[in-house]
Amino acid sequence: MDLKFDASLADFRTMIRDAIKQDLPREIQERTRLFGGANSSDPHDSLAWMKILSKRGWTVPHWPEIYGGKNWSPLQLFIFQEELYKAYAPDTCWGGTHMVGPIIYTFGSEAQKEQFLPAIRNGDYYWAQGFSEPGSGSDLASLRTAAVRKGDKYIVNGQKIWTSCAYMSEWGFFLVRTDPEVKPQRGISFLLINMKSPGITIRRIPQINEEAELCEVFLDDVEVPAEQLVGEEGQGWSYAKFLLDHERTTSSFIYFNKRELDRAKMIATEETLDGVPLILHPNFQGRIARLEAEISALEGSVMRLLANEEFKYNETAVASILKVSGSKLQQALTELHVDLIGPKAIRHYASESVDRDPYDPWPDHIPGRTSQALILRASTIYGGSLQVQKNIIAKLAFGL
Amino acid sequence: MDYNYSDLQKMLLDTAERFLRSHYTLEHRRALRKSPDGLDADAWAQFAELGWLALAIPEEQGGLDGEITDIAVLMTAFGANLVPDPIVSTAVTAPYLLSHADQPDSDLFEAIISGEARVALAHDEPGERYAYSAPRKTLLSKTGNGYTISGEKQLVIDAPSATHLIVTAQIEGSGDFALALVPATQKEVSAYSYNLIDSARASDVKFNKAEATAVLLTGPKASSVFGEAIDRTSIAYGAQAVGSMESALQICSAYIKERQQFGQPIGKFQALQHIMADMFVATHQARSALYQALAQVDAPERDRQRAVSLAKITIGEASQLVSKQGIQLHGGYGLTDEYEISHHYRRLTAIEKLYGDIDHHVRRIGAMTQTA
Ligand SMILES: Cc1cc2nc3c(=O)[nH]c(=O)nc-3n(C[C@H](O)[C@H](O)[C@H](O)COP(=O)(O)OP(=O)(O)OC[C@H]3O[C@@H](n4cnc5c(N)ncnc54)[C@H](O)[C@@H]3O)c2cc1C
Repeated sequence: MDLKFDASLADFRTMIRDAIKQDLPREIQERTRLFGGANSSDPHDSLAWMKILSKRGWTVPHWPEIYGGKNWSPLQLFIFQEELYKAYAPDTCWGGTHMVGPIIYTFGSEAQKEQFLPAIRNGDYYWAQGFSEPGSGSDLASLRTAAVRKGDKYIVNGQKIWTSCAYMSEWGFFLVRTDPEVKPQRGISFLLINMKSPGITIRRIPQINEEAELCEVFLDDVEVPAEQLVGEEGQGWSYAKFLLDHERTTSSFIYFNKRELDRAKMIATEETLDGVPLILHPNFQGRIARLEAEISALEGSVMRLLANEEFKYNETAVASILKVSGSKLQQALTELHVDLIGPKAIRHYASESVDRDPYDPWPDHIPGRTSQALILRASTIYGGSLQVQKNIIAKLAFGL
Repeated sequence: MDYNYSDLQKMLLDTAERFLRSHYTLEHRRALRKSPDGLDADAWAQFAELGWLALAIPEEQGGLDGEITDIAVLMTAFGANLVPDPIVSTAVTAPYLLSHADQPDSDLFEAIISGEARVALAHDEPGERYAYSAPRKTLLSKTGNGYTISGEKQLVIDAPSATHLIVTAQIEGSGDFALALVPATQKEVSAYSYNLIDSARASDVKFNKAEATAVLLTGPKASSVFGEAIDRTSIAYGAQAVGSMESALQICSAYIKERQQFGQPIGKFQALQHIMADMFVATHQARSALYQALAQVDAPERDRQRAVSLAKITIGEASQLVSKQGIQLHGGYGLTDEYEISHHYRRLTAIEKLYGDIDHHVRRIGAMTQTA
């Protein structure tokens, strides 16, 4: 065993850190600091930042080199993401760089690779993920949006929901039912759909934090050229599963969690009780210490997976550990922010007020914190809910 | 002992439930967010009509002289229906302070009862956190023929629609603690107002030699009455929280019976049944805690404070469990502004933070334990 973080990576970290410091525009950083979430930055900022990052060729370092990747080791990729988060840089358009991109270069046609990979790499436009439906959330395989082949087109009818940022996406990747006769999982296909196609209507959904990034997408006789099918008909489900296997450690949100722990300490230094900073109060010290302990363990769990430890238990069950712990941590940390801010946390701040009212007398560690804690109730719902993760563990680790 | 509602309380609750449920629909409440001061004037007139604004006011001042338990019953209905209007300030906190004033002001009571006046309590100052016994920086000064007040207050709940403010201050010279009545609509009072996460309103208020029309209480009596009023206010909000949780139980149990995944109602999954059972336990315990506190409202200070803090802790923790798990049971729908459950979470989170959060009350109990 060698359990130490490779010391030779220190130079790499410095190089990344300096580059981000040089490149990241102040306003984008500021917006991300206040309202940026875990894989949910302001979509305009994501694209603007990708344009900047692409000059260094750093938008998709995790891709194979022939498609524009950097051939960095898993640890280097880890450091890269960690530094981005630490600097309050926005995420890339995750749907593009981490979801549809890898699907296209693994299963797509040459024409699709040519058309889409450079655009994804450069952040030319935003991608929407059209998987969930009103009646198909945890039970995604029951999805009903139908694509019927007619000549060289598919005619798509149905409805998607929770489609993040659909209102400003140029393209979407959709799971659709092409064969209603077979076992549900076998009848699903993976389609790329231009979001400006006639027949698509989008409604933004007002959220718990009074923002509206989530959308409903209605598809009414939408014509999709058959060459926008990715891979084979009926294989959509297996491609979606490939995605999950491909991104096993993402669900830990370790970079986000580490950054938000630092933020908690910062807020605890700023906020006082009877004139004493909260960081000196035992109640809060205790909460911070416990979360730090869990984050440290989670980082260890991420490393074990990244370094390909041979696990005694099924690896999918082990990956679920990261999701269970990481999703609960996101909630615990942002709730801690709210509790640290105390009574002032009940004020509503909208993200459009980021360019702050110059007369607002409140300190600047407050806006955005409650908004984030509210929306992060989602962390145990999306990407396989907490209950679904526990079902997976029970089944795959113990055969229950 | 009798834990059942009296006939009068049953009537009160029944009327409240009927009016509030039909009036404060989700759509209506969402629309109210855009109103300038958060006040639903039509509803407020109804509150007056129904006698709710008179409930906590003594008979000799034209009020109904209701007990704190009556008020709590009414407040559960307000919580259940997520009413964002400034009821607690005007109908619970202010009547208690005003009726204990050295010289109660009949005109103001009349205006409260008729729905014309609304009174908010301005206590917290910038940089403070639940400092209910610390000296104020705000100063009350004697002038030729009256008093003026100068200072800054932060997060004055329900201030935007208030006609009057009760302001805590130190008296210039003697340094005594005092409660002063200040009309809100004078140019020496300036407010910076904002929405809260539960659609209620608050302001940061600056007083620049503003006229205080009355000094309600001063010295040790002011301090003790103020402490009593804060505890009653906490109880009123606690009762709202209990109402909100009880509503959430109904909403969630109905939802998981209805919502289908994997070919069955999700309520068939034992994982969710156990969550529902946890919510049930917490909600029941919260109501019990509320009763424990209600029983001690008029007890000696230490017993009262202990009971109120214990209730605030239990209710605060139950609120978080019930509303967070309520969202979890709803999946994505729990994250929208278009389903009730997220509103309960926001309301319950706000209530937990009002007049002492869990941490504050844990420390208050801790301090009492040390000196026991
Ligand atoms: C902020 C946010 C962003 C999202 N972004 C996208 C996106 O861009 N694209 C997209 O396609 N989707 C997106 N989603 C949708 C997300 O994937 C779904 O919300 C998720 O799959 C859960 O489905 P549901 O909301 O229908 O909840 P349901 O599946 O109805 O779940 C409700 C409750 O039932 C429980 N439950 C369900 N099945 C079981 C079981 N077998 N055993 C025990 N408990 C069970 C769940 O744990 C949950 O508590 C997003 C969701 C959110 C909240």
